[in-house]
Amino acid sequence: MRNLPLFVLLLFVLLLGSTGAFAQQDGADLSRGFPDDDWDNSPATNDSGEPANADALGSGFADGDGWGDDDGWGDDWEDQSASKWLALSGFVEGALGSRWDEDEAVGRYGTLADARWRLETGWSNDSVKLTYKGDFLADGIDEEFDLDLRDVSIAFSPAANLDAKLGRQVLTWGTGDLLFLNDLFPKDWVSFFAGRDDEYLKAPSNSLRLTQYNGIVNIDFAWTPKFASDEYIRGERFSYFSPFVGAIIGDEPPLQVDEPDDGLSDGEYALRLFKTVNGVEYALYGYYGFFKTPSQVTGPFMLTFAPMSSLGGSLRRTLGPGLFNVEASYYYSRDDSSGTDPLIANSQLRLLTGYEWEAARNFNVGLQYYLEHIRDHDKLIANSPTPEFEPPENRHVLTTRLTYRAMQDKLNWSLFAFWSPNDNDAYLRPVVTYRASDNWTTTAGLNLVGGKDIYTFFGQFEDNSNAYVRVRYNY
Amino acid sequence: MNRRHSLNRTRLLTSLALLAVAGSVSGAALTDADEIVAQANLASYYPGVDGRAEVRMRIMDAQGREQRRQFTILRRNVAAGGDQNFLVVFSRPSDVRGTVYLVKKHIAREDDRWLYLPGLDLVKRISAGDKRTSFVGADYFYEDVSGRDPAEDKHELIDTTDEYYVLKHVPLDSSSVEFASYVTWIDRNTLLPMKIEYTNGSGNVYRRIEVQQVEAVQGYPTVAKSRVSNLETGGYTDMQFGFVGYDIGLPDDVFTERSLRNPPQQWLERPAQ
Repeated sequence: MRNLPLFVLLLFVLLLGSTGAFAQQDGADLSRGFPDDDWDNSPATNDSGEPANADALGSGFADGDGWGDDDGWGDDWEDQSASKWLALSGFVEGALGSRWDEDEAVGRYGTLADARWRLETGWSNDSVKLTYKGDFLADGIDEEFDLDLRDVSIAFSPAANLDAKLGRQVLTWGTGDLLFLNDLFPKDWVSFFAGRDDEYLKAPSNSLRLTQYNGIVNIDFAWTPKFASDEYIRGERFSYFSPFVGAIIGDEPPLQVDEPDDGLSDGEYALRLFKTVNGVEYALYGYYGFFKTPSQVTGPFMLTFAPMSSLGGSLRRTLGPGLFNVEASYYYSRDDSSGTDPLIANSQLRLLTGYEWEAARNFNVGLQYYLEHIRDHDKLIANSPTPEFEPPENRHVLTTRLTYRAMQDKLNWSLFAFWSPNDNDAYLRPVVTYRASDNWTTTAGLNLVGGKDIYTFFGQFEDNSNAYVRVRYNY
Repeated sequence: MNRRHSLNRTRLLTSLALLAVAGSVSGAALTDADEIVAQANLASYYPGVDGRAEVRMRIMDAQGREQRRQFTILRRNVAAGGDQNFLVVFSRPSDVRGTVYLVKKHIAREDDRWLYLPGLDLVKRISAGDKRTSFVGADYFYEDVSGRDPAEDKHELIDTTDEYYVLKHVPLDSSSVEFASYVTWIDRNTLLPMKIEYTNGSGNVYRRIEVQQVEAVQGYPTVAKSRVSNLETGGYTDMQFGFVGYDIGLPDDVFTERSLRNPPQQWLERPAQ
C-alpha cells in the first residue's frame, strides 16, 4: 500500500503519454469511415450560388437500413431495440492535485491522486430498467482501493403514473447552484474540495424513490432506510478548525463520529411536491432525518448527527433574458428546539435567490444570494463554551458563476466564487476543461479558499487551497 | 381573438403544403413573403401531428477533428403552426448518453426548456435568452432544433427563381440575435428552406445551413441530410435523419419532467422495419 501514490502517478503518466497515440488512431478511423468523396468534395452549392438540387423525393426510408444512403456512417450507431443490454461504457481517469504549501496540520502537500475506472452497463425492456454504474478507484491519498458504486438500481413503474427506483442512486432536487437548502441528499465535500468531477459532489445513497405524476401535483418521495451522511471534512485529507482546541487540526486526534443507526427510525424521509404552471416551477419540500454533517457534540472529539426536520419551498421561472429562482427552507433541530443546548446545532432558516443569463455570446453569468440565519442565536452565544468561534446569526453568502465556452464547446472556462461579506471569507473555483474529442477530456483547476479568521466556514480551509489536473478517456 | 382565424389559416396552409408534396401545385408562384415563411415553417417543423426521428451529427472543426452525437427526437404539435413540444434523448457518445432535452415551444411567450444531466440527477433549466447558442457542441443552435418564430423577423421576398423563393429576413429585435439578417432559399415545390445564409453586422456571411438531401416520408418531404457551416471558424456540423415516422400517436404526457428522468422507452425504440 505504501507504493499506491507511485502507482497512481505511473498510471497517470501512462494515460497522458497515450493521448497522442489515441489521437492518431482517431485520425485513421476518420479516413476509413468517411471517404473523401463522400464528405469533403460534395458540392452543396453550385456556381450560381443556389443550393444543389435536392434528390428527387424517393421511396422514403423504408428501404435498406433506414438511413438512406449510408455515407460512411457504417453501422457504428446504436440500435434502440426493444429489450437489450446497454453497451458497456465508462471512462478511465487519472487525477492529481496538490497544495503549494505543506499543510502542517495534515502533514502533506497532496490532495488528490486518483486512478479511476468507470464501468457502466444496464439492461432494459419496456417495463424494467436495470442500471450498473461503478468506479474502481485507487486512491493514493487515502492509500486504499475502493469500489465506488454510483448507481446500482432497478427502475420500474408499478402503476401507470408511478415510477419507482430502488437501490443505490444519486438523488437531486432544489434550485440552488452549489448551494443546497432542500436537497438533503448526501454530498461529498471531500471530493468537491479535492477537484474531482462535479458529479462526485453528489454522493449516492441506498434509497427507494417513488414519483407519482398526476394532474394536480406531482409527488416525489425518497426513503433512505439507513442515514447517509455527507462526506465531510474531518482532517484526513483536509484540515479544519476544531473549536475543541481553537486551532486548525488534521486527524490527530481523530474525530469519533457516531452515525445514527437505530433501525428504521433512524432513516431519512424526503418529500417533494412539484408542479409546473405556465412555465413556472413550484415545489414544496419536507424532510425528516438528521443534519447531514456532525452537529452534536457527545464528548471531546466525539460527534454525532443531531435529528433535524425541514420544510421548504422553491420557485423557478424564466424572467427577462434569464432564469430566476428563489428557495427557502426551515431546519428544525428536534433535540434543541429552544436553541439553549450548546452541544446541539440550533434551528436555521435558509434563503436563496438567484439569477442566471447569457450575458454575451457563449458567456453565461449566474448570481446567487444566500442567507443562513441561526434561530435563537443569543441563546447559542449565552450557552456556548466557545462563543467566539460560533457562526454569526446571519451568514450572508454571494456567489457568482461565470462560464465561457469556445471551440464548439470543447473549451470551457468557468469560475465559481463564494464570498461571505460578513464572515470575511471566500472560495474560488476556476476550472478549465478541454474536451479534445469524444474520448479525451482534460480538466485543470484551482480550489482557492481563505478568509480573515481561521474559524469561519471557508476561512478554516485556507491551508487546503490546491491545484489539480484530471485526464479522462471515455469509452 | 384571432385564434379561430389563425387555426383555419394554418389548416389551409397544411393542405396547401400537402398539395405541394403531391406535386399538383399548378406552378403559380406565391408572392406574399409572410405566406411563404408561414408555409416553410409548417413544412420544416410541423409535418403530421407528431413525429419521431433518429439523428446523428458529425461535428467537425477546422482542423478536421471530429465529434459525434446521436439522439432520438420526439415532437408533438399542440397546434399546427403554434405551440409544440420536443423531447431529445441522447444515446451517444457515452459521456452524454442519458442526457435529455425537453422544449415546450410557445408562440405567445418564451419557450420553456430543460436539460437533464443523469450523472448529477440534475434537472437544469435553460434560460430564454440562451437559444442562439450551440446545441451540445454542434454548429446547430438550440433554436434550430425547435424552430425560430417567424414573427420575430421581418420578411421580404427578394427573388423568385424556377426552383426557389429567395427571401431576406431582418430581426425585429436585433439585440437578441447575433445576425443582422439572413437569406433563405425555399424550394417552391416542397416549401422546405434548402439554404440559409446568415449575415453579420459587417455584411459578411458567417453561417450557412444547407439541406443536402430530402426524402418523402409518409408523403411529407423530410430533410434527410443537412450541414451547418461556421464560416468564421471553418467548422461545420453534418446532420442525418433516419427512421423518421409521422403521426405515430405520441401522447401529451411524453413531454413532461417525467421523461427527463425516465425517458419513454416505448416511443424511443426504433420501430420494426
